[in-house]
Amino acid sequence: MMQATLASTDLVSLQHALLLSGALMAIGLAGFLSRRNLIVMFLCTELMFQAAIVSLVAFGRWYWDFSGQVFVIFILTVAAAEAALALALVVLLHRRRPTLDADAWTELRE
Amino acid sequence: MDPILPYIATAISAAGLLGVLMARGTGGRLGGSGVGVLGLAWLYVMAGAPGGGGAGLAEGIFSLVFSLLAIASSVQMITQRRPVYSALFFVLVVLSVCGMLVMMEAFFMAFSLVIVYAGAILITYMFVLMLAQQASDTAHDAEIPEYDRKPRDPRAAVVVAGMFFAIVVSVVFTGVHDLPPAAGSEARLQADAALLRSLPGEVQRLARTHDLQLPGTTAEAVHIGKEGLMLRGTQSDGTSVTVPIEGPGNTAHVGWHLVAGFPASLEVAGVILLMAMFGAVVLSRRQVEHAESELLSAVSQSDHALDQESEG
Repeated sequence: MMQATLASTDLVSLQHALLLSGALMAIGLAGFLSRRNLIVMFLCTELMFQAAIVSLVAFGRWYWDFSGQVFVIFILTVAAAEAALALALVVLLHRRRPTLDADAWTELRE
Repeated sequence: MDPILPYIATAISAAGLLGVLMARGTGGRLGGSGVGVLGLAWLYVMAGAPGGGGAGLAEGIFSLVFSLLAIASSVQMITQRRPVYSALFFVLVVLSVCGMLVMMEAFFMAFSLVIVYAGAILITYMFVLMLAQQASDTAHDAEIPEYDRKPRDPRAAVVVAGMFFAIVVSVVFTGVHDLPPAAGSEARLQADAALLRSLPGEVQRLARTHDLQLPGTTAEAVHIGKEGLMLRGTQSDGTSVTVPIEGPGNTAHVGWHLVAGFPASLEVAGVILLMAMFGAVVLSRRQVEHAESELLSAVSQSDHALDQESEG
């Protein structure tokens, strides 16, 4: 019943948007865990932001509540701040040791 | 439908991702992506037909193509050996996610994502990549550094990601049906009307375009009729009429929600951006000690160069 009433107005069903969001998040997670290049690891976090954006907009559309899209604006803010700081850190680390290998900094964990 | 089937499909798509991650040649990549697409397609079919009813076939195909493009290019992004290619594939991910947002009628967010992500953030990434990368962009794979050629523990990574995806899948297949019902067209019209009532200037503009005099307050003029949003007013000869009007668009809704609903968060977001800028400047500046005489000579040299330029 419920499915039938919303089908007439929705072009993308909530299930499919959530599946896309979950798949993007999982791929970003796999990339973050398996890549060793610092910059590509940060790119993978950006991929996970994209996944969050998709599910926020999908739920906002489900309830016709635009707060979902407002939150996307804040995600954009955080992503921009993160990109600036993370890339500054990468530049700083690269100046110390001329490599992008995350394993070059394993001694930081001790 | 057997409740175990979605998990099998999840495992199949995770196996496909593992195959792509571990592949040595093009054949392995193709095989892995084939298995992955198979698992995802099974999940897609089990989740039910897209839209149905009023949504046409074209919309279903568009959203399917955008989703597939997003997933395929994100897999490419995490498996490419050259970071520059990863960044370029991420641009493709952003563009296809924006396509999905357009399909979900989030037009403002779609275009601001293109501008901010594909335009600004990715350019920053490219700059740093170009800055930090050794000259490895030749045709020879051997010149790509070892940390880009070999992934670290792809099996463990795929297991973790697959378990995460399994959680999402279980929520999608069991939880979505228990959600409160989606907002129907009635609730959407009411949201449109509520927004218009809080925008007197917009209502006045609409009244001017229809050559109407508004009777009392703008809130009384807007109401919901059979044909959707209606505006009630009097014409120049005094007769009272009701005309159908367009509802406010997506951008108006988002803007109103942002400014009226989250003013403090908006300020905090601005402060966060400012602090991030300071942080980036402080982190990446280089401490260079200059003697006073060096600075003076540098200034006089640049003055000299400027003089020559203007003469020439």
